[in-house]
Amino acid sequence: MSTAMNFGSKSFQPRPPDKGSFPLDHFGECRSFKEKFMKCLRDNKFENALCRKESKAYLECRMERQLMAQEPLEKLGFGDLIDGKPEKN
Amino acid sequence: VVPGETALAFYKAKNPTDKPVIGISTYNVVPFEAGQYFNKIQCFCFEEQRLNPQEEVDMPVFFYIDPEFAEDPRMVNVDLITLSYTFFEAKEGQQLPVPGYN
Repeated sequence: MSTAMNFGSKSFQPRPPDKGSFPLDHFGECRSFKEKFMKCLRDNKFENALCRKESKAYLECRMERQLMAQEPLEKLGFGDLIDGKPEKN
Repeated sequence: VVPGETALAFYKAKNPTDKPVIGISTYNVVPFEAGQYFNKIQCFCFEEQRLNPQEEVDMPVFFYIDPEFAEDPRMVNVDLITLSYTFFEAKEGQQLPVPGYN
């Protein structure tokens, strides 16, 4: 563990997200996808690599319901999980 | 999480009051030096978000750790990076110090 010394001159500079903000899912439209993802993580000792299909499904849910800007799946790091169907746009 | 691999994480926020709350959140990464490698693709932060009375919402963050993290000798002993968020109630006219973001 690092020491608790705090050199006051260094401060953390927050950076905004690359693709902007998610609007809140007020109606829980994608909650079931999130639950599947969380269950997958718990079943797999929180190894993200084993639950990428579930995280892709969650983000697709958001995109379908206007809760996330449409992005090609390859740009979101899911290139290897795409079926081989041609891109929609 | 493997550097370079995109990952999803969830936080939860609840408004326990009986009035709507408009808030904005900012984040912190420890250890400090790992922060430069932490890249958010999309999150719930930096914009005002409204929580209705008693509302509880899931707040996702989609991110990746820059692969250069694995090349940095200073990061050799870092195997835990902690991301935390603080949700502030937004006051009228309040601006978070976020350089260059509109």
